[in-house]
Amino acid sequence: MPRPRVGIFGLTGCAGDQLVLLDCEDELLALAGMLDIRDFLMASSQNDGDSPLEVALVEGCVASRRDEERLRRIRGRARWLVALGACATGGGVPAMDDGNDRARRERLATVYGQTGLSYDSLPPRAVTEVVPVDLSLPGCPVEKQELLALLAHLLQGHPPPPVEWPVCAECRMAENRCLLLDGAPLCCGPLTVGGCQARCPSLGVPCLGCRGPIEDADPGAAVPVFAQNGLPRDAIEARLRLFSARARWEKAE
Amino acid sequence: MTTIRVEHLARIEGHGGITVELDGGSMKRVEFDIFEGVRLLEALVVGRDCEEVAPVLSRICAICSASHVLTSLKATEAALGVQVTPQTESLRELLLRGENIQSHALHFFCLALPDYLGYPGIVALAAERPADVELGLRLKKLGNLIQEIVGGRAVHPVNAVVGGFASLPSTEQLVELRHALDQGRADAEEAVELAASLPSLQLGRSPTAYAAGVAGEGYGYYGIGQAVLLDGTRRTVFAPSEYRRLTNERPVAHSHARYSAFEGKPFMVGALARLAIRGDRLGAPARRALQRLGLELPGENPLDNNKAQLVELVEDVEFALRVVDELLERGLRPEAPRAFRRRAGQGVALTEAPRGLLVHSYAYDEQGRLVSADVVTPTAINAASIEERFRAAIGQLNGCPPEELADRLSIVARAYDPCLSCSVHVLQARHEG
Repeated sequence: MPRPRVGIFGLTGCAGDQLVLLDCEDELLALAGMLDIRDFLMASSQNDGDSPLEVALVEGCVASRRDEERLRRIRGRARWLVALGACATGGGVPAMDDGNDRARRERLATVYGQTGLSYDSLPPRAVTEVVPVDLSLPGCPVEKQELLALLAHLLQGHPPPPVEWPVCAECRMAENRCLLLDGAPLCCGPLTVGGCQARCPSLGVPCLGCRGPIEDADPGAAVPVFAQNGLPRDAIEARLRLFSARARWEKAE
Repeated sequence: MTTIRVEHLARIEGHGGITVELDGGSMKRVEFDIFEGVRLLEALVVGRDCEEVAPVLSRICAICSASHVLTSLKATEAALGVQVTPQTESLRELLLRGENIQSHALHFFCLALPDYLGYPGIVALAAERPADVELGLRLKKLGNLIQEIVGGRAVHPVNAVVGGFASLPSTEQLVELRHALDQGRADAEEAVELAASLPSLQLGRSPTAYAAGVAGEGYGYYGIGQAVLLDGTRRTVFAPSEYRRLTNERPVAHSHARYSAFEGKPFMVGALARLAIRGDRLGAPARRALQRLGLELPGENPLDNNKAQLVELVEDVEFALRVVDELLERGLRPEAPRAFRRRAGQGVALTEAPRGLLVHSYAYDEQGRLVSADVVTPTAINAASIEERFRAAIGQLNGCPPEELADRLSIVARAYDPCLSCSVHVLQARHEG
């Protein structure tokens, strides 16, 4: 079987999802043998830039015209386009920027003075908002085991099964004490898509929702329940939007 | 007129390029273009609660996310008057050592080593020299193990919170780490031998000023109490609150990083700067590594920064061994994060991130909401210095064909281990009203 041609790309972001791939220290060399890695600018100065790809992994958000052009080129080359991480799947923290271009230009001027207004800068959007995406892997960053499982599935020619349960379910399975019942002001675990094995609540840290909302999340019903622990409604809503302002939170409001 | 362009610099973190225009003997334009998209995170975090600030600003950069989280917490705690315990300070220092090991191993083996040995990247290198790559990956994994055990995650650690740590490492985890550190000690020495065997590369050699943060004692990265600028033999000392007097940043049109200079001169930060300024605080094994690699301090060759990182690898592994042994002997005191009250205040924190001096400076209102944030990152500080070294290299490589010159300049930029996600986040955001 010929090795599938793969490209790994980063748009605007922190490069954390590419780093998770490089952090697969035990699997990296085996992976490099199984995949024909054609593009990986972060790790190689020899990049294809042109040939068709079976799989393109794309992290980051679209925050400039340059990002948008690169993404459209990648889409044109790829059979499977995988959006990797919170920025690509839901806009991530940069998308807290509300998409209001005037407010954004004011912020640019605050930060960089008049020079900033000449920068190639667009309101951040998720990859999923700009081109059709075949698969999404959430998380800030993605979980190593989920990334490896996704690559293993694609090597077999089919997508991995979707995660259809919240972080809360995994937290119960881990037999953790419930932070909300113990009086934490807010934990986003009940609304957030699972797959992280309740990483943060297992450490005693309330879930911040970095993996975005589950398919049937109902924030409209959840917010009043959360509010019983004393946090004002607007603070709860701001927290839910922290990592996925461009996702479906707002629809239910 | 000759134009030399590197459209998209490879084997670095983030998005940047190089533009050079030569007209006969004169350099018309020499620019390190940082076109990393602007995310304005510090502006977006304004108005957020004090416990949300570190998780958001962690996302400035993945490779040095532990540095951003801990520098952020330190600034927040200074503003809110929260005093953490000595155990918390010691674990935070350990976390930064883990980050430094991870970051240096990634940079030296995966990004820089191919330059010395003539390979396009780590995959090609692994095909012919698997032992070298495996050595690097083992060291990187060690750094990540420390970050996972102490920080709860290798990228964007979640376990460090305002007032301390949410959870403490278990004895089993510390024993596992102790074993990995034994191997790490041997691996770090082997890495130094590998570096000593590499061909000498000299590019962009020129005198430069250096700056680094200095801790109360030892070679620490977390407990930085002051910054020192070294120019020739002259040392200038800055208190944390005086950081702007050191950096004097200004925006430039060709780069999304703001440029820094002291008395009009760019300066270099990072591992080589730390060795130049506080190398006398290294332990004996790291001093031996320094001698083995023959680094001149303060030196003029920017490429020595690659090898300086290996001296720190030795130092950091030794430090981690000491701390873990102490913790295993004494046992960890079970302690919850310090309780704190939200109040108005201002705080500045300096630390040494893998790439150099990092500053977070905040103001909070009486509800503990962020009013303003200023973040100065090491790569932003280095951007002007990188251009200065480009000019030196172009002068020295007179007559070099354009394509080769582009390669050589890329090697100079890479030696600074630039992290461009970080670099575009030098900014000052202020909440109006």
